[in-house]
Amino acid sequence: MNFLAWLEQTDFSVWLRESDWGHPIVLCFHAVGMGLVVGISFMFCARVLGYSRKIPLDAFDRLFHLAWFGFWMNAVSGVVLFSGSPRRLLETPAFVIKMVLIAAAGFSLWLLARTLQGVMKPAGASARLSELEAMPAGARVAAAFTVLFWIGTIVAGRLIAYTIGPPPI
Amino acid sequence: MTETEILHWVKDTWLGVTVSRSRWLFATGETFHFIGLSLMVGGLLIVDLRILGFLRRMPLKSAMAFLPFVIVGFLINLATGIEFFFADPFMYWPNPAFKLKLFLIFVAGINALVATIVLHRHAKHAGLDDDNFDALTKATAGLSLSLWLVVILLGRLLPAFEGSTEFF
Repeated sequence: MNFLAWLEQTDFSVWLRESDWGHPIVLCFHAVGMGLVVGISFMFCARVLGYSRKIPLDAFDRLFHLAWFGFWMNAVSGVVLFSGSPRRLLETPAFVIKMVLIAAAGFSLWLLARTLQGVMKPAGASARLSELEAMPAGARVAAAFTVLFWIGTIVAGRLIAYTIGPPPI
Repeated sequence: MTETEILHWVKDTWLGVTVSRSRWLFATGETFHFIGLSLMVGGLLIVDLRILGFLRRMPLKSAMAFLPFVIVGFLINLATGIEFFFADPFMYWPNPAFKLKLFLIFVAGINALVATIVLHRHAKHAGLDDDNFDALTKATAGLSLSLWLVVILLGRLLPAFEGSTEFF
């Protein structure tokens, strides 16, 4: 808690809270990163859930590089946003819930990737999952949960803005 | 009606009064606005990057099949955007970031129209399996991604321009 109190009083933290531009600029990065991570996740999950079945799943490879780029963009901009009001954020339930939901979304994406890899292996490395008749049920469940967790993350993120306590004096 | 009278009318409509009096309608709208944003970005990335030649492993037809996500995302954001504007017209209208955002959305719409026309022409002459798009088609795809990126940034920068009537 001492560290957080110190962090809160640094020039950067104060600037982030009190300047006109600090917060909106960091939020710009956070919004673009969200679009990349959540947008690409949504499209991939739609494919797993049965949308546009002709698309080979490995065609998403390069999009996942972009999604990872968005993830790191949001990890960094998220840490920066956190440094602006660390103690208040930790005391805001919506913030804690948001962190849990991000971890849950990441976990279900990892599970989704693992399920799909497990299915692809027996047919040989070059096999394309698109040739499978049906998507394994586990993959569908993981995809559905991923979508739900990302929506939850967005809801919790919005709630932070409306439920966070007043800034320190 | 003058500009101010129109803004007063907007504020006093049923929608304006309901949203500005409610504690959660605005926040709920914002949440949907972000979900719509994600749907648009996800769909546009697939369609535009495919046209630009980055996702060649994806069959063109399948890539284009993601367009409905873009349209649904846009409609969600149009509806929630109207909700925001009606709740607080006097904040949005004078804001230069808001005006530029509206203008760029309009330009993106024209660009999408041009893209549709050139894509149809391309499909007619070369067939849907031909991937060698001409410079004009690629330009519409690049412009689409750039315009929507700036639209997102301007939306996020709106509060910083609150109270100002010009950019500089």
